[in-house]
Order: sequence, then C-alpha cells, then structure tokens
Amino acid sequence: MRIRRETPMRKIRILLADDHKLMRSGLRLLVEQQPDLTVVGEANDGRETVTLAKSLKPDVVVMDIGMPNLNGIEAALQISQANPEISIVMLSMHSDESYVLRALKAGAKGYLLKDSAESDLIKAVHAVADGKSFFSPAVSKVLLDDYVRKLKRSGAEDAYDLLTPREREILQLVAEGKSNKDVANLLNLSVYTVETHRSNIMEKLNLRGIPELILFAVRRGIIS
Amino acid sequence: MRAPSNQIVPAPPTSAPDSQFTEHSRKLRALLLLSFGWLLALLIGAGVNALYSLRHLDRASQEVSRRFTTHNRAIGVIVVSVRVYDDQIERFLLQDQLQESGPDPSEVAKKIAAVRASLLDFPPDRDPDEQLLLAAMQQQLQEEESSCAIVLTWRSDLRRQRAYQFIGQQLIPWRTRVFELSSQISSLNEHKLALENLAVATRFQAMESRLVWLVSLALVAGVLMSLVCGWYILRLERQARQRYQALARGRLELESLSARLVEAQEEERRSISRELHDEVGQSLGALLVEVGQLSKLVPPEDRITQTQIIHIKSVAETAVKSIRDIALLLRPPMLDDLGLIPALEWQAREISRRSDMEVEVHSQDVSDALGDETKVTVYRLVQEALNNAATHAAAKNAKVTVTQGSDKITIEIADDGHGFDPARQRGMGILGMEERVRRLGGAFVIESAPGKGATIKAELPLHHADSP
Repeated sequence: MRIRRETPMRKIRILLADDHKLMRSGLRLLVEQQPDLTVVGEANDGRETVTLAKSLKPDVVVMDIGMPNLNGIEAALQISQANPEISIVMLSMHSDESYVLRALKAGAKGYLLKDSAESDLIKAVHAVADGKSFFSPAVSKVLLDDYVRKLKRSGAEDAYDLLTPREREILQLVAEGKSNKDVANLLNLSVYTVETHRSNIMEKLNLRGIPELILFAVRRGIIS
Repeated sequence: MRAPSNQIVPAPPTSAPDSQFTEHSRKLRALLLLSFGWLLALLIGAGVNALYSLRHLDRASQEVSRRFTTHNRAIGVIVVSVRVYDDQIERFLLQDQLQESGPDPSEVAKKIAAVRASLLDFPPDRDPDEQLLLAAMQQQLQEEESSCAIVLTWRSDLRRQRAYQFIGQQLIPWRTRVFELSSQISSLNEHKLALENLAVATRFQAMESRLVWLVSLALVAGVLMSLVCGWYILRLERQARQRYQALARGRLELESLSARLVEAQEEERRSISRELHDEVGQSLGALLVEVGQLSKLVPPEDRITQTQIIHIKSVAETAVKSIRDIALLLRPPMLDDLGLIPALEWQAREISRRSDMEVEVHSQDVSDALGDETKVTVYRLVQEALNNAATHAAAKNAKVTVTQGSDKITIEIADDGHGFDPARQRGMGILGMEERVRRLGGAFVIESAPGKGATIKAELPLHHADSP
C-alpha cells in the first residue's frame, strides 16, 4: 500500500504503543489536537503492536522502547520486515548510542526522547510520514558530546574533516534516506560515481551499514 | 555511586568454653608430664640400682676368692717349711749311717725360725675354727721344737743308737699331725669359699628379681600410659575432625547465605527499579505532557502563569531525570532491551561521561540468548570493576573484553590505574564480585600490584539456557 502524501485531505493514521496508559492518553491528547493526524489504535505491549500494525496498516507507529512481551526494538524489527512502508518513531528514555543504533538497525526512522515528546512528537510524526528521519535534538547533542570527548581523549582526528565537500553532500542525502539513484539525479552524477563516493565515505568514517551512517549524521547534526 | 554491598558479620568469639577448654588441656598436659616423669624416674632408678648391685657383687666375689687364695697359700707355706725343718732334723739324725756330714744345728734353728715365721704370716682374717686348728698346730710345733732342741745336742753314738726310734716314734707322727691339721684348715677354707659363693649367688638372685620387678612395673606403666595417650590422641583427632566438619558446614552455610543475599539484592533492585520506572517515572512523564498542554491553553500574555508553568515543568524534568538515573543504576533496562554487549557499551560510555576514564568494549561471539543470571553477573562485574578503576584507581583507560566459548564466557577488565595488592586489599566490592561469580560456579582472579594497574578476570560456565 502506498502512502499518498500528495492528498492533503488524508489524515496521517497513527498507532500508539506504550505499556503505560497514562503515557498513551497524553500522547493521544497531543496527536488529536492536530487536524491532519488521527490515532487509529493503541497497543499495550510489543506483541499487540505487531499484530495491530499488520491489521490496521497505520502510516506511523509511535512506540515505546521498553515494553513487556517483546520489547520495542524487536517489535520494530518485525514490523519493518513485514510492512516496510510503515514508518516507526521510537520513544525512549535513553539518548545513548546503543539505543539509537539498535533502533535504527531495527528500521526506526524517528527517535524521540520521552521528556521532549510533548514538544517534538508532532514534528517527528510529520517528518517520518514524509519519508524523512527525525531525532530529538538532545539525542544529537549526547551523541556528539560522546564522540568529541572520545576524540579528545584518544587524540584521534575527526574523521568528518577527511570528507570532501562532495562527499559531505552525498552523506547527507544518503542519511536522509535517498537511494543511490535519487542522489545521482539530484547531483547530476552517474550512479556508479555515487556508489564510489559512498564506499569512500564508509571507509573514511569506518562505518558498517546504513544505520551507522545515519547515526553518524545525527551525531554531526547533518540530519535531525 | 557505588553499588551497596553485602556485609557478613562474623559471630562473636565464644570465649567462655574456650578458656574452660584451655584450663582442661593444661591440667591434662601437666598430668601427662608427671606420668612420663615417673616412668622415666622408674627406669633410671632400676638401671642405677642394677649397676650398683652388680659392682658390689663383683667386689664381694673378688674378696672371697682373694681370701681363699691367700689362706691356701699360707697353709702351703706352713706345710713346706715344716717339711724342710723335718728333713733337716732327719738328716741330722741319720748323718752317721749315711756317712755324710749333717746340717749344722744353727742351720736347723733357722729352719725352725722359718716355720715360726710362716705361722705368724698366716693372714689375720681367720675365723674361729681356723684359729683353733692353727693354735693346735702351733702348740704341736712348739712341742716338736723343744724335743728337737734336745735331739740336736746328741752325739754321734747317741744318734746311731736312737735315730730310727726317734724318727719312727716322734718325727713321723708329728709330720702326719701337721699334714692333718693343714688339710683340715684347707678344707675349712674350701667350705667357707663355697658358703660365700653361695651368699653372692643369693644376692645376685635377689638383685635379679628386684630388677625384673622394676622393669615389669615400668613396662606395665608404659603400656598403661601409651594406652591413655593413644586414647587421648584419638579423642583429639575425632574432636578436630568434628570441628573441621562443623567449620566446613558453617562455611557452606555462609556461602549459600551470601549467595541468597546477592540474589535477594538483585531481585530487590529489580523491583525497586521497576517501581520507580513504571510508576513514578511514567506518572511524571504524563505530568510533563499535561503541563505542556496546559501551557498551550494559557494565553501567552499571561506571563505570570506561563512562568509558573515553566517552573513546574523544570521541576518535573529534574525529577524525571533523577528517577531515571536511580532506576538505571539499580537495574539497567538495557540488559533486557538491548542485550549484554550494548548494555556494556552503554555502561562504558556512561562511565566515560561521568569520569576522566575512557572505556573500550571488545566482544567476540557473544550470544544474544544468554541467561538472565549470566547477563546480570557480567554486567555487575563490569560495573563494579569500572567504578573501582575510575573512582579508586584514578585510571585513564580501561578495556573490557568479553569472549564466549563453547561452554564458558570469559570477562576481562583491565585498567591503567595505580593498582593495589589483591592479597591485602579486598573491599566489599571485590568480595561481592567474587561471590556473584562463585554463585554461578565460575572462577575469579585479580592481577594487580601497586603502580601496575589492575586486571580482573572471570570465567562463567554456560548452561543450556545460555547456549546460542
């Protein structure tokens, strides 16, 4: 099923998953104030979320990471494997790299800290529904702090400085979720050239896979 | 923050039965010493007595034979001198018939002097019978002397006429008489020798039986004492064995107690953490959302209410943050949410954020399906070790290595801090780590020395539940 972003009248359908009723009702309150958003279902644990995602086919799943009976990361993995068109926003207490990377690997597009849910949820839902990614600003800050501290203590240089302007451009586009072909079209390059740039970026930054690339981009504030 | 640790309070020393026991053993030792002393004295006494008696008997026996020999020799001298004298008399009387010159009367007088001297030479230690016989002999010899004095004045014709008669009637009976007397003295001596030998033998026998008695007494006492000592040693051995068993049992109980304590501690942390996170944390989270809603409802012109709302929000945010920090320390949800290695990486970064120490985590073949106990143990081990390295050892770098083998998982935490002596300094933290590892049947080693950093190594066996 394709998401028809171009029809403005169509509301974005949202599935809320959190094992705490209080949290869910708070989130629902936030969402229903928006005219273009609607909550189509609420799930109490990971298993229920997977089942409801399959049957309701929402546009966006907003899901807590720590849930009983299958945690949020496992649930995200199952949903994104079964229905790749569903965008997932992770709600978490933790801004640590381990969580963010795991969530990205599980296919999440957005990562939201619970304490900033109130202000960022609407932005995040809109961003992921639009095929972009969204990360709480606090997450980017923590990731960058960790990175800078490590560089300072180990005395290593920032790998980002090794990238050429063209490579930085491509890094941003790839991190935003564009395919090699999209990038090639946008920059008027051949797909082959884009592929070469991409592998150079991965090598210079010592990254393995797209989730790590996105993490890096978030850390450097290239995407949010 | 250091994780709270178990405290095992040793039982107060039981002093009263102890001193009683010491008193008892002191008495027993004194008794043993006394008995051994007596036994030794008995043996030495018997030996000295036997030696003394033997020497005494030897001297007595020598004395007896000396006496016998001297008396016999004296008798012999008497007999020989009498015989020489008689011969002189005979030759004097028969000088005419044999046609040779007889001895001079003065020569004869010398011989009689020799006889007298030999009588006087007889040893003075004479017994009464001997004395009587000697007196008889002396008397007879005096008679003989006086008769012979007359004979020696005889002229040739008188000698021819009476010589044979004198020899036959006087000289020969005298001689016979002297022989008889001397043989009586001799036999008397022999008799006395036999008697005295008998006395020596009797005394020897007495000594022998006394010795036998003493030695048997010592033997009996010795046997008795070895029996008592053997019984006492066996009793001590039994007591020692019992005490050792009690000790081992106590140790085992202590181990299981501390294992239960660790378990209870973990369970309690988990439940407090869950309560904090689920109840308090979620309520505060919802509160934040509501406050956000409220601030939208209040018109922006109402500055006072808006400021109030911002204040409420910041207080709630602080509360959320501290609740989260406490819950994380008690039971990190990473273990459940992410698995062991990401949780360790989180822990490493967390320490790096809070301290000046940079931590690297390396892992190899670590399964996602480790058992909960194993995960918690590894996690707590790393947590405690890194905390120690950062706070106590002022380390700048630490390295955590986790390797999974076919039947065990190996954890190594190495730091470059100022180290310590593991044999002397064992804080509750290290004891707690050791206890956790031992509870799962693993091995735990600390390699460290002052100035050399520290390396903590642990090995945990994997059960079926932990296998990949």
